[in-house]
Amino acid sequence: MIRFDNASFHYGGEHGTGEGVDDIDLTIRDGECVLFCGKSGCGKTTITRMINGLAPHFYEGLMERAVYVDDICVSTAPLSTTSSIVGSVFQNPKSQFFNVDSTGELAFGCENQCMSREEIQARIEMTRDDMQLDALMNRNIFDLSGGEKQQIACGSVYAAQPSIYVMDEPSSNLDRKAIRRLHDILVRIKANGNTIVLSEHRLYYLMDLVDRVVYMEDGRIAAEYSAAQLAAMGDDELRRLGLRCASLEHLQRAEGPYAAEPASVTLEALDLSCNRGGVQILDIERLTLPENSIVALIGDNGCGKSTLSEALCGVIPSGGSVAFGGTYLSSKVRPRKSYLVMQDVNRQLFSESVIEEVLLNSDASRERALEVLDALGLASCADRHPASLSGGQKQRVAIASALCAGKDILFYDEPTSGLDRTGMESFGQLLKDTKDQVKCQVIVTHDPELIMQACTHVLRVDNGRVLGVYPLDAEGIERVRYYFLSEDDGSTSRRREKVSVLGKIWSYTGDHKRKTVAAAVFMTLGAICQVLPYLIVYQLIDAVVQGRDLTLQGSVVPLAGILACLVLYAVLYMFGLQLSHRAAYRTLENIRCSLQEKMEAQPIGAVRDMGSGAVKKLLNDDVDSIELLLAHMIPEGIANLAVAVVALLVMAAIDWRLCLLTTIMVGFGVSASGQMMATGVDKLGTYFASTKRLNNTIVEYVNGMEVVRVFNRSGESYQKFEESTLNYRDFALDWYRTCWPWMAVYGSVFFSITLYTLPFGALLVLLGQLGISSYVLCLCMSFGIGPLLTHVMTFISSIPQVNYKIQALEKAMDRMPLKTGTAAFEGASHDVSFEDVHFGYGNDEVLKGISFVAPAGRMTALVGPSGSGKSTIAKLIVHYYDVESGRVCIGGQDLRDMSLEALNSQVSYVSQDLFLFNQPIMENIRVGKPDATDEEVLDAARRAQCDEFVTALPQGYQTPCGAAGAMLSGGQRQRIAFARAILKDAPVVVLDEATAYIDPENAEKMNAAVAELVAGKTVIVIAHRLSSIAHAHNIIVVDDGRIVASGTHEELLAVCPLYVALWNASEEAAFWGLKGGSAYPDEASAHESEVES
Amino acid sequence: MDFDLYGDDSRGVIKLDPRTKLLLFLASSIVSLNLYGITSMVVFSLLLCVLLALCGRPGTALKAFIAFAIVAYLRSCLDAQGTGSAGVVMICQALATIFMFMFPVLISLVMLVQTTRISQFLAAFQAMHLPATIVIPVAVLFRFIPAVQDEWQGIRKAMAFRGIRIDAQSVVRQPFKTIEYMLVPLLFSSISVMEELAAAAEARGLDAEHTRSSYEDVRLGVADYVVIVLFGGIAVYTALNVRRAVMGQ
Repeated sequence: MIRFDNASFHYGGEHGTGEGVDDIDLTIRDGECVLFCGKSGCGKTTITRMINGLAPHFYEGLMERAVYVDDICVSTAPLSTTSSIVGSVFQNPKSQFFNVDSTGELAFGCENQCMSREEIQARIEMTRDDMQLDALMNRNIFDLSGGEKQQIACGSVYAAQPSIYVMDEPSSNLDRKAIRRLHDILVRIKANGNTIVLSEHRLYYLMDLVDRVVYMEDGRIAAEYSAAQLAAMGDDELRRLGLRCASLEHLQRAEGPYAAEPASVTLEALDLSCNRGGVQILDIERLTLPENSIVALIGDNGCGKSTLSEALCGVIPSGGSVAFGGTYLSSKVRPRKSYLVMQDVNRQLFSESVIEEVLLNSDASRERALEVLDALGLASCADRHPASLSGGQKQRVAIASALCAGKDILFYDEPTSGLDRTGMESFGQLLKDTKDQVKCQVIVTHDPELIMQACTHVLRVDNGRVLGVYPLDAEGIERVRYYFLSEDDGSTSRRREKVSVLGKIWSYTGDHKRKTVAAAVFMTLGAICQVLPYLIVYQLIDAVVQGRDLTLQGSVVPLAGILACLVLYAVLYMFGLQLSHRAAYRTLENIRCSLQEKMEAQPIGAVRDMGSGAVKKLLNDDVDSIELLLAHMIPEGIANLAVAVVALLVMAAIDWRLCLLTTIMVGFGVSASGQMMATGVDKLGTYFASTKRLNNTIVEYVNGMEVVRVFNRSGESYQKFEESTLNYRDFALDWYRTCWPWMAVYGSVFFSITLYTLPFGALLVLLGQLGISSYVLCLCMSFGIGPLLTHVMTFISSIPQVNYKIQALEKAMDRMPLKTGTAAFEGASHDVSFEDVHFGYGNDEVLKGISFVAPAGRMTALVGPSGSGKSTIAKLIVHYYDVESGRVCIGGQDLRDMSLEALNSQVSYVSQDLFLFNQPIMENIRVGKPDATDEEVLDAARRAQCDEFVTALPQGYQTPCGAAGAMLSGGQRQRIAFARAILKDAPVVVLDEATAYIDPENAEKMNAAVAELVAGKTVIVIAHRLSSIAHAHNIIVVDDGRIVASGTHEELLAVCPLYVALWNASEEAAFWGLKGGSAYPDEASAHESEVES
Repeated sequence: MDFDLYGDDSRGVIKLDPRTKLLLFLASSIVSLNLYGITSMVVFSLLLCVLLALCGRPGTALKAFIAFAIVAYLRSCLDAQGTGSAGVVMICQALATIFMFMFPVLISLVMLVQTTRISQFLAAFQAMHLPATIVIPVAVLFRFIPAVQDEWQGIRKAMAFRGIRIDAQSVVRQPFKTIEYMLVPLLFSSISVMEELAAAAEARGLDAEHTRSSYEDVRLGVADYVVIVLFGGIAVYTALNVRRAVMGQ
């Protein structure tokens, strides 16, 4: 129990403002959840501080009367006593951590309470499981995003299990999913009988949780409401109280839907990529933002929103090209044209007074600056120190300085986190007022109210990719609402590991490490053999210099040695290369297999989205480029470098001065190549992106050749082709142009190392400080190492290229895999049930709460207009995608618990498009059950009515189907699909438009085949031709993602107007089909689909 | 400016107690002050590098030792030849010698910092029965370094937007202005972070007067005793040896 005994507190001391709370007389019972709300500065944070004892123990001030928790007077008891019963979560995620590692942070509270190690361990495990913190364990706190940090903060308090939880705006940095998780945690805490005290601006997520809402005004309790009373309040009343909305369900744009007007593009980004710690974070092909727009940048925590805005501003290195107002700008120029208002605005205030701050490095006059300040309501503080302003004022000072500096594009990083209704609305107004002064404003936000208040467009980012830019028209509002209301609460945090390029490749090498090492050893020996001849030459010259006779006989041995060295070099090198290639190609095999495994685990839709061309490029071209690294760079690079270093060391033993000189020259060359890499890397992303675009255009050009010729579009198509070719040429030239000078420098330095050793050495010889033979030796060494170093440098310069490709490879495969279990099928029956299933593709929600049961052994039909979500339901049964919320079960077992194999043995899915392998028909049918005997296959074929047309084919069942079954008609292919399904004999059958190719000629056969297939099974059928499903046990009418009616044919005809309309349309189409169908069977179905759409 | 203070010993073959690492640091300092022979220097550095590799940083250890070996080799080449002008020789010798003296200290510092988490430090200090009034400030100091790094990165970005440059040219031209631009935001944002951090730590029960337990299992194991005996012995021996040599003279 918490008891405020008519307590008052006013901040005093050094920084005290005298503000505070007065006469708080309140009792909070055990197990109650109380929310304190009110305008900014109303004293709700002070209330939380009084409960956890920070006021008056930490924040000095004048305390009158006291606050009691149970029997303890927290106003006088030491903080350490209070902390064991009161757990606190604070608003700012970055300043509430004591440790640098996340696990240590979870343990912190428990440690302070002096728990035993085992107990702490158990608490941490419990917290991790309850709060889905797996991906955040053992991480560096500074690598986490704000929302992730806040989750750790909640977890840390949860682990200590206090009886009272005090939270000061815990949701201010959280995304929708994390808020949902926070909500679930709060439910759990409350269910455990603990007391929760919250101070919060966001109300909507707490409505089903709070018992009491205490409304504060000017430091006093002004009113108390129940959640129901608050929910019943109209928007105007809430605004009067300065409260945020109580529900997102009816959130509307303040000025009605935005009427999209054609506007020119003000920001364009092409092929934007950004890497951090060896991982590619952004992968954006094209992004455009319209002029004079206010764009809300939304996405889940850690999806790359901040990275995207910083990359667009040019303050972090990124690949690709970004244009402001039609001009492409380098990352050095972009910060001058853009401005980012940071969440922590303290970082961007540099001057001693507001007016100086605004005028800093700007061309604006003092009058103009005052004008801007006045417009922002800051005129009175022009001479104050920025640090003395409030948070909101500081934010406006930052905006003012951006306006004075004439920036084109403004970015805001979560500007309204922790703002009350008034603050949020006046910020929204500010956005609208500045709309015409800048070209574009982008707001990174988790605040749906702000979006509805001020924004015109929404940019949705997911996992570093742009999911869409759409205007906030009626449809856009629907999408935003869907985004924030979606019940998906899965954590999107992932572990990002910092591994260097070589380390990454090395990990793929697997069992072939030894071969690569052996290759490096052989090549090192080979490289030694390359240097040895110079030493032999030295001996010969030395002999001459010493004045000894150089006889033919005497020189035979050295000459033979040189020859032997050359032969050895060739042999060793070849051998090494052979080994390294063997290791390399095995490694490529590993990489391809691991990519294939990753692809297998992904939702089918995600793979389809990538396109077969891109997958081919990924698995083939990109992987191939790694071969260069493995087979050549690693072993040869190591070998050449090692020998060059050894040669230099030997030189040092002879004469350290010459060695020093050579080393300096080599260092000069290496730094030149380093420069080349540094400048080259910046442009590499752009270069590869244009390669990618060229590839895509070529593929499109070839694939679309037919259409192009038929419609006489060759000019247009060629133009596109030419454009991307030119584009590629320009980027490639640009890249090489950057690299050329440096290449020239290091190339010439390495080849002419002798040039520098020669005169200096000669000088030393003349001064008598160096023996002539040593001099000759050093010269020979210099000759020897030049080529080695040049070799190494060519490899080093290609490392960034390979690195880039590997990162792109990993990025392409980083989508969330399907959630599959390992359990076998354990369902009690073969009933298929949907339980409140929500699902959407990206921006749009397709299924909005679907629940039904398809009983075992009966036929359930799904009907509805096109795009109503019927096919999506069918695809969810075969687990092509994961549902967002709710469950899909077979016999009571969730699909996500089953392994894919187990699921596939239970379900046959027959769809309209059927893929036939280029194999005999017999084998194509056998796909349904790979271990079937020929008899079984033939039997299935007979039952599917295939026998009659297959035996008519020249080679009967051994006739190859041709590529994708080109030999067969649609209806015939369909029956082969039925044969497959009959052979598979799975207890659940899903027919997705499976009878689309039906026509009067084959209708009888098709119906017979279907009858064979569905006998005794749980059948879920989707058909446009309603006559074929009229006899179904249950017909479910789906419209716009919801079930509108269900029942038998007769029942529906009586009660459901939509069904009646569908039935009539279908009957009409069937009549049409009959007329045309007899002559042109394929067209019949085409007609049908036309009528449909 | 990356100290990589996030200690990670998960890859280590042996896990040393932070106290052992502290002792190792002390021993290395003593040894490097008292050791002159090039062979004994190489042996001692090799020992340290092996230990660093065993503690989970084989890459760093290998690179460091190669660097050390090359410098030692160059120095011996320099000594052996005795050619070149006296000034250059002296500069080169001095550079090499300083590097070799610093090496053991640096390596043991790297081992101390990069393989130890703050919570381990705290636990170790507690096990040493140091008063909390010393332990907590030290922990806060460690926590503060990455916080300042983080702030500094943000401030650099903010400077880019305002056209404020931090380079040699601007430092020479207007040194005070530049320092002001660097310090003002750094101080103001650090102050607010520190205040909130202190409030959070106190509200969560950190108190100098109470004993804390620790999640970290800091205990002296066999490896610790071996390391302590070995390196402690070397330190004592070298120190005594030098004293004897000095007294003998």
